[in-house]
Amino acid sequence: MSAADANSRWMDSTSTLGDRSAYKKVWERQAQDPDVASLAVAGHTDEATLELSARGFIDTLRTTVGLSPSDVILEIGCGIARVGRPLSRECTHWFGADISTGMLRHASDRLKDRPNTTLVELATVGLQEFPRDAFDLVYCTIVFMHLFEWDRYRYVEEAFRVLRPGGHGYFDNFPLDSSHGWNVFIEGSRYPLDRRPAHISMASTREELGIYLRKAGFVDVQVHDLPNELIAATGRKPDC
Amino acid sequence: MSAPPDDPGQRAAALQAELDAVKRRDAEFRANMVKEFLDRGERNTYLHTLREEKATLVKREQESFADLEFLTRKLEAEGDRSSALEAELQGMWRSWSWRLTSPLRALGRAFSPGAPAPAAGGEPVQGGVFTYYLHTAPFRVYRGDSFTLRGWAWPEDGRAITAVRVNLDGRTFAGRHGLEEPEVIARYGAQPANPRPGFEVTFATPPGRHLLSLEAQLGGSEWRWIVRTSVWCEPKAP
Repeated sequence: MSAADANSRWMDSTSTLGDRSAYKKVWERQAQDPDVASLAVAGHTDEATLELSARGFIDTLRTTVGLSPSDVILEIGCGIARVGRPLSRECTHWFGADISTGMLRHASDRLKDRPNTTLVELATVGLQEFPRDAFDLVYCTIVFMHLFEWDRYRYVEEAFRVLRPGGHGYFDNFPLDSSHGWNVFIEGSRYPLDRRPAHISMASTREELGIYLRKAGFVDVQVHDLPNELIAATGRKPDC
Repeated sequence: MSAPPDDPGQRAAALQAELDAVKRRDAEFRANMVKEFLDRGERNTYLHTLREEKATLVKREQESFADLEFLTRKLEAEGDRSSALEAELQGMWRSWSWRLTSPLRALGRAFSPGAPAPAAGGEPVQGGVFTYYLHTAPFRVYRGDSFTLRGWAWPEDGRAITAVRVNLDGRTFAGRHGLEEPEVIARYGAQPANPRPGFEVTFATPPGRHLLSLEAQLGGSEWRWIVRTSVWCEPKAP
């Protein structure tokens, strides 16, 4: 399937803004075939580009929160395991959680040769499937733009719960005050009201992300400006 | 246990290796803990799946009962038609004697589904509008000496059900009402006058064809039927 074809089918698979909170429905529709799923979560379909962008993100994790071979890691909204596949080589165990069964099916295909990975379908917004104090690192990348603010905060709170004391959280989004962020915002504003897609990207501000982490109980909270025009908030769960 | 190396550099390296090993064991322990937690969640999910399957089976059972009821009604209609034709035939054969054919026509009328069953005491019982479900469908061939109808019912006018009974060809059998139906309440909420809508009635099933009428008394006064049908009782072959 060509990228143009995938793009047009992706457009067909989108839902309207009224469905934005129905994350399972919205993302199941976009997960129907691997190329559309890949386009929806990463913006491209070829494996080499997926690997390259994942490598870039792993470097970001390394510089912002640090990585250790002994880490037990959870990704919120892992999609097709774009990041999980390479990251699983660098940790003890990688858990990928997503609300879409379809996305997890594609992820499972991509992780067949990775025994230290586990995929978990989330029933709803939150991490109720996971125990507290379990992970060294919980991260959520290229997800917050698709969530309402309340749900962003819910995941930050839940990440705090499932992190072990001393563990790190990482959450990114594109900022409203970058040229890219402003363009996305203006493009979104031009949709006719009744045709805004449910997955439409919505920016964050530095203050917003920082507040979420502090309110959830994180310490050492920092908001990083990343080279790819994203901002990322990181924090540490205090030691007991 | 080997003695610690004298060289501080070597000692630091050995301690670092030991620390790394502890960290790895701790990480493996936590990863296994998460997996066990997830397994437990899956068991809960499995319970949920079983409950869903149960609900599907109940739905399928209800559909089967509906089919059976439809077929029973057709059989009743055919039975009535057959009785009428037989009566007509008898009439043709014995037209010289009205008195001789009269009982057959009366028999035909008695088996007509439109005719109200005589209640105990003789007064006809009118039909009522009920929301109901019978756990044990009356649409069957009865093989034993007795049968227990179990189910739940709500009159649509919201009046309290104060008694239930089965009327089998005019012979009445009192039942128990006010039985708990937690799944019904959970699904539909309670009807104020009938918070426990369950009932059961055991009645005799003597051989032959009978008109069965399941009836409820409303507000302590009038009786209304919930469901009526012909039933066939055939003893088990020896």
